[in-house]
Amino acid sequence: MSLLELPSNREERWRWSDLSALPEIAARAPSGQMPERLPWLDCATPGPRLLFVDGRLVADASEPGDVALGTVEAPVGEDALGRLVGSEGWTLRLGSGHAPLGLVQVIHVSTGAADHLPARIELDVDAQASIVETFLGDGWTNRLTRITLFKGARLMLSRRILTASGYVSLSDRVAVGEGASFVLTTLAGGGADTRFDGEVHLAGNAGFAEVGGALLARGRQRHDANLVIRHEQPNGQSRQVWRSVADDQATCSVAARVEVARGAQKTDGEQSLKGLLLSRTATINAKPELEIFADDVKCAHGATVGELNRDALFYLASRGIAPAEAKALLTASFVADAIERIGEEDVRTAFLDDANAWLAHGGAQS
Amino acid sequence: MSDVRNREAHDAAEKAATYEWGFTSDIEQEFAPKGLSEDTVRFISGKKNEPEWMLDWRLKAYRKWLEMRAPDWAKMQVPPIDYQDAYYYAAPKKKIELASLDELDPEIRRTYEKLGIPIEEQKVLAGVAGARKVAVDAVFDSVSVATTFREELKKAGVIFLSISEAIREYPEMIRKWLGKVVPMHDNYFATLNSAVFSDGTFVYIPEGVRCPMELSTYFRINAANTGQFERTLIVADRGSYVSYLEGCTAPMRDENQLHAAVVELVALDDAEIKYSTVQNWYPGDSEGKGGIYNFVTKRALCQGRNSKVSWTQVETGSAITWKYPSCVLAGEGSVGEFYSVALTNNRQQADTGTKMIHLGKNSRSTIVSKGISAGRSDNTYRGLVRVGPTAENVRNFTQCDSLLLGDQCGAHTVPYIEVRNPTAQIEHEATTSKISEDQLFYAMSRGLSQEDAVALIVNGFAREVLKQLPMEFAVEAQKLLGISLEGSVG
Repeated sequence: MSLLELPSNREERWRWSDLSALPEIAARAPSGQMPERLPWLDCATPGPRLLFVDGRLVADASEPGDVALGTVEAPVGEDALGRLVGSEGWTLRLGSGHAPLGLVQVIHVSTGAADHLPARIELDVDAQASIVETFLGDGWTNRLTRITLFKGARLMLSRRILTASGYVSLSDRVAVGEGASFVLTTLAGGGADTRFDGEVHLAGNAGFAEVGGALLARGRQRHDANLVIRHEQPNGQSRQVWRSVADDQATCSVAARVEVARGAQKTDGEQSLKGLLLSRTATINAKPELEIFADDVKCAHGATVGELNRDALFYLASRGIAPAEAKALLTASFVADAIERIGEEDVRTAFLDDANAWLAHGGAQS
Repeated sequence: MSDVRNREAHDAAEKAATYEWGFTSDIEQEFAPKGLSEDTVRFISGKKNEPEWMLDWRLKAYRKWLEMRAPDWAKMQVPPIDYQDAYYYAAPKKKIELASLDELDPEIRRTYEKLGIPIEEQKVLAGVAGARKVAVDAVFDSVSVATTFREELKKAGVIFLSISEAIREYPEMIRKWLGKVVPMHDNYFATLNSAVFSDGTFVYIPEGVRCPMELSTYFRINAANTGQFERTLIVADRGSYVSYLEGCTAPMRDENQLHAAVVELVALDDAEIKYSTVQNWYPGDSEGKGGIYNFVTKRALCQGRNSKVSWTQVETGSAITWKYPSCVLAGEGSVGEFYSVALTNNRQQADTGTKMIHLGKNSRSTIVSKGISAGRSDNTYRGLVRVGPTAENVRNFTQCDSLLLGDQCGAHTVPYIEVRNPTAQIEHEATTSKISEDQLFYAMSRGLSQEDAVALIVNGFAREVLKQLPMEFAVEAQKLLGISLEGSVG
């Protein structure tokens, strides 16, 4: 892997990134060490299950159902990390009249080395799917997912990164058709560094996209999200809601852009990027960007960075709640803002539990 | 005309070449030879009778500049600039004389009238023959005005000089502060400026002095043509205050294509500097031909405790504006403010904003940016708010609003927020909108023409910024917004 060419942070998109650990991880051999427990979700409507260990499907622990495995029909990404994924991966293609699939669950385990995997999701007219991806282990997990949603299709994609150490890089290229809806919620609640690269094109009239999540970092962890939602047609709606929490010497960075192409009138784009610093040595970076070429649009963004509201802490203290608990409560509610958009209750609850577990793990002690 | 100038310049260059140091100060020619080389730098420095250290500084900058590349990160399309196809030093140009105001481009004349500039002053601005006399009178007037001002300023201990004079008269002060806020190698254009700056302004306000008047280049005699590479340095000593006005609201058909100015402000303990700019250089025609490229580096160092710098700008001119007046808030409790209206029409491009670098405890900053895009223009707000790890209790509030007039223009917001201290409280808000039909309908139902209605609404949109301007600027700036929008509606 000496051929690994990584971008430097002189490049604007990689301004706040630190990829320096990747060559070392890429040179390692996988340990094969599996986690004690695989956190499959028990849910009302179970669907296909896929388990990938070091980028390879574990057939006897998987029930692929409608998900096809093998060569993924999609050109390789041009971006620095996405182009590493190769061609063997998984594909979910749902036709227009397809019956509800149940919750698709994918677990990715990395056992210490680097693995790369492409995926393709294509939902035909009015098809619907809900997918949960969970990331575990301690290597470098690199994914590129291409998503196409045709007219009226709906995809809810939820991801939780619980990888203990190492690196997780996820690139997404999404095309949202007329009246289609795409909701991507990401929880970075492990110990690994992360990089999320998303490009969502609202390519049809009145498309809807919501991309957001919670980035929780401690130690020397770095989370780095770089997202673009591009409105190409009129009447589109988009939301980006990100909540970052940084403790110790950690850094959370979110660069989120809304682009409105010429003629994409009546666009409604909204961004809310908030950062919470829990320690004196942590860093929060935010870049809420708007690029607008149409006049009849409503685009707004808000960004705040700070510590927990002292008035709120005082209020809770006055009600007899111990400072640590008060801090935990407020932090949990701050993070919940970004996770509550998940539609299925089972998934939402699981994600909130994961976030709370992270917070309880020393995050809000001091 | 330019051939003659060229020949003159070359002759001069040849003549100069016989001297041991290339160019020396006793040469009488008006122009440096076309193009940029070490000799050009020596020529400018010699022409200005500068001490050796200043020449060395310029040369160092020039050599540095040769190694640098023009920045390309702004959201702009900048045609390639041929740095060899320009003059870097020209004594004040004589304007083309007009027989009467009737010969003046009617478009400019109309603008003068809309701005409410008195006839006599119009003649001066337009360079009407005979009005030269008026102009001389006017200049005499302002000379006397300037002299009385100078007397008064002198009494207060304020130094207000062209930078060339200051280099000669106050070398220690210049050596101490020049390049301190904007280092010589800061960026491509600032480095170029460091090498070839032709003139500019130096202001020093002594300790405890509240400058008795608003300082303006307009009142400075030798400000008639400060040239394309202006250098401004303002130092406000402890507890002092100064308000500085830059620019002119009247449209001057400046032929200089490239402007690369550097402005450095230093505020010591409890000092306050208010810097207001109205920039209305030639924006090019409606097809985007011609116009000024304005690449400006403006930065303030709030070095002292409780020091304050406030930038206010109204940018309506120039084909290209690349400008980020910034504050380095190093002093404890220091305050930085940035109020900006940037209006682009036709094919203008503006990429402007600010940087607030918080290093001192309890430092605060406010950013209010109003971008108005019309025609086929692009208008970008680009800003940075950075809080260093030792800066406790920093507060920042940023508001960037964009108004789009028409569906062929662009409005962009690129804010960077980098916070490394948990006690910081950073808020950023931005909105993008167009003029609502209701507002327009209401204003027109009260008898305003569509153009006036739009101008009124735009002024309302920019009000928060305009009210920061000193009185005399504010009135003209308001009219200017209306004028700059002409032809963009209906």
